[in-house]
Amino acid sequence: MSVLDAPVSATAPVAPTTGLTPVFVRLKLALLRNGLRQSSGRRAAFIVSLVLTLLLAAGQVLGLVLLRGNEHAGTVVVLLTGVVALGWAVLPLFFPSGDDTLDPTRLVMLPLRPRPLIRALLVSSMIGIGPLFTLCLAVGSVLALAHGAAGVLFAVVAVPLTMLLCVALSRAVATANVRLLNSRKGRDLAVLSGLVIAVGIQFVNFGAQRLGQAGGLSTLDPVAAVVRWLPGASAVASVDAASDGAYAVAAAQLLISVAALVALMWMWQGSLVKLMTAPDGSTLAAAEPDRTGSGRRGLSALLPEGRTATVMQRSLRYVARDPKTKAAWVTALAVGAIVPLLNAVQGTGSVYFACFAAGMLGMQMYNQFGQDTSAFWMVALTISSPRDAYVELRARAYVLLLLTLPFTLVVCAVTAAVLGDWRSLPGALGLSFALLGSMLATGAVASALFPYSIPQEGAFKNVVPGQGGLAWISIFGGMVAAGLLASPVIAATVWMHLADHHDALWLMVPGGLVYGALVAWAGLRIAAPRTANRLPEILTAVSKG
Amino acid sequence: MQDRADTRTETDGTPTAAGGAREARPAVRVQGLWKRFGDQVAVSGIDLELPAGKFVGLVGPNGAGKTTTLSMVTGLLRPDQGTIEVAGHDVWADPVEVKSRIGVLPEGLRLFERLSGRELLAYNGRLRGLPGDEVDKRATQLLDVLDLAGSQHKLVVDYSTGMRKKIGLAAALLHNPEVLFLDEPFEGVDPVSAQTIRGVLERYTRSGATVVFSSHVMELVESLCDWVAVMAAGRIKARGTLDEVRGDAPSLQSAFLELVGAGGRDAGDSLDWLGGAR
Repeated sequence: MSVLDAPVSATAPVAPTTGLTPVFVRLKLALLRNGLRQSSGRRAAFIVSLVLTLLLAAGQVLGLVLLRGNEHAGTVVVLLTGVVALGWAVLPLFFPSGDDTLDPTRLVMLPLRPRPLIRALLVSSMIGIGPLFTLCLAVGSVLALAHGAAGVLFAVVAVPLTMLLCVALSRAVATANVRLLNSRKGRDLAVLSGLVIAVGIQFVNFGAQRLGQAGGLSTLDPVAAVVRWLPGASAVASVDAASDGAYAVAAAQLLISVAALVALMWMWQGSLVKLMTAPDGSTLAAAEPDRTGSGRRGLSALLPEGRTATVMQRSLRYVARDPKTKAAWVTALAVGAIVPLLNAVQGTGSVYFACFAAGMLGMQMYNQFGQDTSAFWMVALTISSPRDAYVELRARAYVLLLLTLPFTLVVCAVTAAVLGDWRSLPGALGLSFALLGSMLATGAVASALFPYSIPQEGAFKNVVPGQGGLAWISIFGGMVAAGLLASPVIAATVWMHLADHHDALWLMVPGGLVYGALVAWAGLRIAAPRTANRLPEILTAVSKG
Repeated sequence: MQDRADTRTETDGTPTAAGGAREARPAVRVQGLWKRFGDQVAVSGIDLELPAGKFVGLVGPNGAGKTTTLSMVTGLLRPDQGTIEVAGHDVWADPVEVKSRIGVLPEGLRLFERLSGRELLAYNGRLRGLPGDEVDKRATQLLDVLDLAGSQHKLVVDYSTGMRKKIGLAAALLHNPEVLFLDEPFEGVDPVSAQTIRGVLERYTRSGATVVFSSHVMELVESLCDWVAVMAAGRIKARGTLDEVRGDAPSLQSAFLELVGAGGRDAGDSLDWLGGAR
């Protein structure tokens, strides 16, 4: 049956004979099926994640059932549900394109009324791995908490309510943010959000260590007491209250969740109607008057002419303006500082941990041309000799050094100050310089030999499908090679410590500096002719994003 | 102008056709060019000479191999086989001579979009070794002529399709190349921008430079080009001046459809309900 064959009424648009909800459910299933049909890799990924989710969910249900009767059961279950609800709220911000039916702008041209549309979207959202996981969790939660007839009664209501609330929360947040995500600034923010997570993990790790020391689950009880009254977790909390006989509390908690669901649906409908009928942000931005004026501004007038300054200026602008480059740099700077410093604060580190900063930043040299995306053609058209390629790579290395050298100095010095171990500082500095030089050298060679595309959308994807192996060779092979290249300096430092030549450790600073500079120079020399000879191949490799 | 004048003085020794004057040296000479992607043959053994100083159109349906051919001619894609000369220099053996003489506007490749329009021109011009003052002077003029002066400080990422094509064209023209290669320069461009681009290109060819551009819009090619090569399924089906290629056909469009074997295809009666009683 095709749309073209359907009889068309001459008078008025036909009212839909079937409900919208089954159509959307079928659409969701079809999208899922077609997505899997596209490639065997995707099918494998889906099956693996399904199996993992099921295993995880089964483990969780089992764990929750075992928790039944434990005095902290309520606390754990309530917090767990709260975290999952929070996850539902923030996930669409990070994975905006994860679900085609999630993007209401695709439905704009269809004659749909908001109410049936929302119902249909809500039901179709219940299909997928995420909802399945949530269902397992909700069922496990009430299994852990429900005692007696009242408990079971509340549980029967709480499970679907929690599910609906999670999905509605996700949808409402996603819809409210589609405008943001469809504008360039919004997408830039979403890309930067990746580094919030990367840095956040370091702190969570730190906090979890603290929690482990402080006395276990009972420290969480006051938090849970608050979370019990927050929608998302309150439906599950009501089961706990009802099982204890506190029916008024249970009813109130259940009502909070119901009220929250209604409020979310209302907000969702509001933003959906606005989104589908009002002009989009980019249209408004394009209608704004342009900035006028011309002429060169400060910095560019000062720089010398030639490729080196031109390339450096472009690279520095990209560090400041391109969300992907900026995220990589900020993550490297933050993690490079956090790891040695947090370890030093905890008293477990060594000044040599500060070399981590040089290592993290040296990794930015890898896949230089992938960072250009397919715009690399502009570079390729101006490289006609190994000399051009050498100057291009050297300028990019200069940018790296411009940011990394002062940073390494500061991290090494602060780590030494926190640990009070000034004696090892020269060794750590020398090692950092040697490591940095080695990473620049291997990074330049890897950029020429193993370039790969970096997808521009999304915070978490740094390699396009199919080039994972290439990226792996480039980064890990390069890091091993860099370690080997720096090994003479590593060996010399270790020997000085073992042989108790601490007085001569200062020699490592000029030694590491000279060694690093020589290795970097040699690496650039090796990479340059390979870059110049492989321009079309590099362009093809970096144009897949 | 200066760049081109230089090149004219060193044409000795280039393999021009026997007895040919300097002007007769083709802008592009392609011999036995092949490119395969896996099992798919994108370009199968092209021999082609594009005359210098003309507005040359490379036309063909989608998937004919136009972009692949232009990428290989401009040195952005390595051919499996064959030789390419641009302005008398081998593209792969002598990149120094070729790259300074050509300007390229590729299709489907990004620009450095996080630079503003003016910054992109400044970057490109300096990368090509032009003096900074000269780059800025030329950039200002190009931005004015291409009607981009008002958005010169906006990032290219915020540009519309037409604006991107125009800033790409400006970047390709900045070093005053001898041969300009444009891949679908009018694709997705609004009529006002198209007219602007057209004006600039016509002025540029009047100075004796060569423009090679690909398109599948025949009306455009017919109104712009002096010389046409028709491509289909990786081969050259016809080449020559507009009149030669058009032959007896009423328009280039119908000559083209005949050449690529798509003439006479009719919708038939399979859609007989369309436009019927509602």
